[in-house]
Amino acid sequence: MLSALLLIPLLGALGLVLWPGNPSPEAVRRAALALLLLQLAWSVKVLLTFQADFGGMQLNEALGWVGSLGLDYSLGVDGLSMPLLLVNAGLTLVSAWASTAVVQRPRLYFALLLVISGAVNGAFLAQNLLLFFLFYELELIPLWLLIAVWGGANRAYAATKFLIFTAVSGILILGAFLGIALVTGQADFSLTPVLTQQLGMGTQLLLMGALLVGFGIKIPLFPFHTWLPDAHTEASTPVSVLLAGVLLKLGTYGLLRFCLGLFPEAWAQLAPALALWAAVSVLFGSLAAIAQRDMKRMVAYSSVGHMGYVLLAAAAASPVSLLGAVFQMVSHGLISALLFLLVGVVYRVTGTRDLEVLRGLLNPERGLPLTGALMIAGVMASAGLPGMAGFISEFLVFRGSLTAYPLPTLLCMVGSGLTAVYFLLLVNRAFFGRLAVAPPQPEANAAGQRLAPVDVRLAVVPWQDQLPALALTGLVIVIGLVPGGLAHLGEATTTAMAQLPALVAAMAAGPASGGALS
Amino acid sequence: MTQQDLPTAASPELVQATGSAQTAATTTAPRGPGAAEAAALMPTAAELADRLLRGQTLLADTPDHLLEVVGVLESYGIVLDAYSRNLIFQAERQFLKPFPVFRFFDGDLSPAKIWRHLIHDRINFEYAEYCQKAMLWHGTGGMDAYFDSEAFIANCAAIIRHKRRDPLLAVLAPLFPAFLPELIRSAATTHALGQFWRVMSDLFLDLAEAERDGRVRSIPAVVEFLKQGLVAAAGLPIHYGVNLGDSHFWVLPPEAGLTFLADVAVPYVEAVFLRGMPFLGTVSFNAQAQQISHDQAQFAYGALYADPLPTMGAGIPPSLLMQDMYRNLPEPLHRWYLERTRGEGDVRVKICGSFQKSMFCVTNAAIAGTLPHPLASGDPAEQAANRAYAEAWATRLAAGRTDCLAG
Repeated sequence: MLSALLLIPLLGALGLVLWPGNPSPEAVRRAALALLLLQLAWSVKVLLTFQADFGGMQLNEALGWVGSLGLDYSLGVDGLSMPLLLVNAGLTLVSAWASTAVVQRPRLYFALLLVISGAVNGAFLAQNLLLFFLFYELELIPLWLLIAVWGGANRAYAATKFLIFTAVSGILILGAFLGIALVTGQADFSLTPVLTQQLGMGTQLLLMGALLVGFGIKIPLFPFHTWLPDAHTEASTPVSVLLAGVLLKLGTYGLLRFCLGLFPEAWAQLAPALALWAAVSVLFGSLAAIAQRDMKRMVAYSSVGHMGYVLLAAAAASPVSLLGAVFQMVSHGLISALLFLLVGVVYRVTGTRDLEVLRGLLNPERGLPLTGALMIAGVMASAGLPGMAGFISEFLVFRGSLTAYPLPTLLCMVGSGLTAVYFLLLVNRAFFGRLAVAPPQPEANAAGQRLAPVDVRLAVVPWQDQLPALALTGLVIVIGLVPGGLAHLGEATTTAMAQLPALVAAMAAGPASGGALS
Repeated sequence: MTQQDLPTAASPELVQATGSAQTAATTTAPRGPGAAEAAALMPTAAELADRLLRGQTLLADTPDHLLEVVGVLESYGIVLDAYSRNLIFQAERQFLKPFPVFRFFDGDLSPAKIWRHLIHDRINFEYAEYCQKAMLWHGTGGMDAYFDSEAFIANCAAIIRHKRRDPLLAVLAPLFPAFLPELIRSAATTHALGQFWRVMSDLFLDLAEAERDGRVRSIPAVVEFLKQGLVAAAGLPIHYGVNLGDSHFWVLPPEAGLTFLADVAVPYVEAVFLRGMPFLGTVSFNAQAQQISHDQAQFAYGALYADPLPTMGAGIPPSLLMQDMYRNLPEPLHRWYLERTRGEGDVRVKICGSFQKSMFCVTNAAIAGTLPHPLASGDPAEQAANRAYAEAWATRLAAGRTDCLAG
């Protein structure tokens, strides 16, 4: 059943590439949408089969592959990966829906989109470290191409920077995985926690440190974040949606699955420092966002801040905080995708994202009133207003982390307040006031003669372009009002994960030398 | 980050135009600092005065302008008819009612009318009240002078004596002696505005008829038609009386000598076209930051200065009027709007643009009709008087939205 989540997008991508003749961009887009709809439907089928009360891996599929290398085709899903599979399926569909402007090499574009979606599914499902690494690396090149080929004016710089950073991240992760096999002597690359009896704490910290930096680059956490604003600025809107909504979650997923899951004891040792790191990342991301005048960079920096909450929750590693981490991954995926979509609409219609220039876009007659209304809803959700997904995730993260790490949690709460500051700045500058999409002109020329006021005419945004943002807003509100479903989905797994350090300690005290705990 | 670093990719979906929203003064202006150079120049006060003195119209004579002005004035005429009837009803039948809840119903309290009111299938009479309040507040002309006269105070005293049978008014009158006279002034302004708009409504509907008959074929002909109408109505008496029980009381008696042009039309233009009120406009003003002049005569928030683009919110007065006119647009003008910019989506902005053009025409006609001497006069003294008069008007108009005047 799970293999279909790899086969649909990957074979679909192959089919698009081999499509004979010269199909129109719209025909290719529709074919990709059909494939992605099928993938979403299949993900929902997996969800319906999924036993939420069971915290371990389910629907396992295993196939020997290159046994001598320890590389097995081993898939499984649990409460941590299930929500992310759904987010991936949904947001790739949104991304393809929003890719209406792709007229050059559409077959390659949509094939790359499908490869990314398949690779992300693979990474979330992989039960073998090497298999995870393969899928983790598989999404790298397509994303690099999507930025480098279909990106903005400075795309070469941004794509190369993204490639270098993420390649370093991959090297560190691969190095850590190989290191585990090397020093433990267990070359099966399975998801088995490393125990202190097997490995000294220093070595554990070293290996986990490599994973931390590797995933920290991907998330991204301060100070490894510098590739993200550039990549977002140059990427097209659909790619930004995918990047923020799905690909960053590979980092946080890796953090929970591999750092916490493989090194529970080392994680517990390092947790206070990680909580502080989370607070620094949140505050830095938020303060940097305040300083931006490009809407897209502001939303990108908000991602740096909001991903820090996941690190805080993971550091606290309580049942509530880990559930909050799952919520935060889902809600950030939806909210950041929504915000990038809306910024994309503003940019396409006005030709600028400059907050010093844009004014009054909420104007009901000549502006972008629906886009503005959705933007206000999106920033409210991002700032964690009750009734929306952001509130549930932030509340769970803070509630679950406050006892363990009060100071970092309070600092992260300040970051949450700063979210309201920078997003209110965004809304106030770009959407309120008198409509303008150019710098203010002087009222008179050098000779003192009055200049005619600029009459702004913006195109109407067709309803098809508003549909993804409307759907995402609806989802953000539904999760905010009825969080029980998502909580039920992840609760058993996150509770089991929270008990992992205690369980490992108990096992270390006993005669057995560990087993598959996940 | 500098301005150059920010994305400025050309967007085919953006068209910025300078100058008139609907006319040919449209250029695809570049974004960024170059926009200032591309902006159209507005006419100077000297140019406007020159046009007035040469008998030219302020608004350029184009077929589009003719369609807009005649069409929008026709819809305005229909709306003014409703406003006028309601204002006269309010002044006569809702006089000094402490809670005039049903003042917009013109006496028809049928369930159907109440239902239409509740679902807002109605004329926005609030706009008429807004104009009435502007007139009362700015208070210029003979009617305002009469409000402060002994005769008016005596009229009020007689009415208040009679109305003291009403228990609430019997308490209010001695507690706040200035309250009821002020309400009576407000009612008098309401009635006077109703009488003024009665004449203007007929004039605008006649104009549409004349255009259909082929008697009016150009903007100069429109201005001339309006001027003749104003001149013909100039001397019409303005008076107002109320029936309380079996007694009749004059509020503005015939012997006050108030007339249409000098005592109502000119104060109306001053209050609504020129001065206006900043509080309900389209842009926020901060009085504490001295953004509003202490001198009411310096106010420039009226219709000729208004930004046709509403800034946030709904229901502000200019939007109310545009909505009322939108419901009564002649079909040719409606089609013309649908072919431009966002079609139905920004039709109120376009109506406001056209309305501004038509109001410049009305102002143009009023100035032409009130010039101290004939334009053809060869007497240097009379010419100088005309020039002074035209320049005084032009100075005020030049600060308005004259960008709509270009052809």
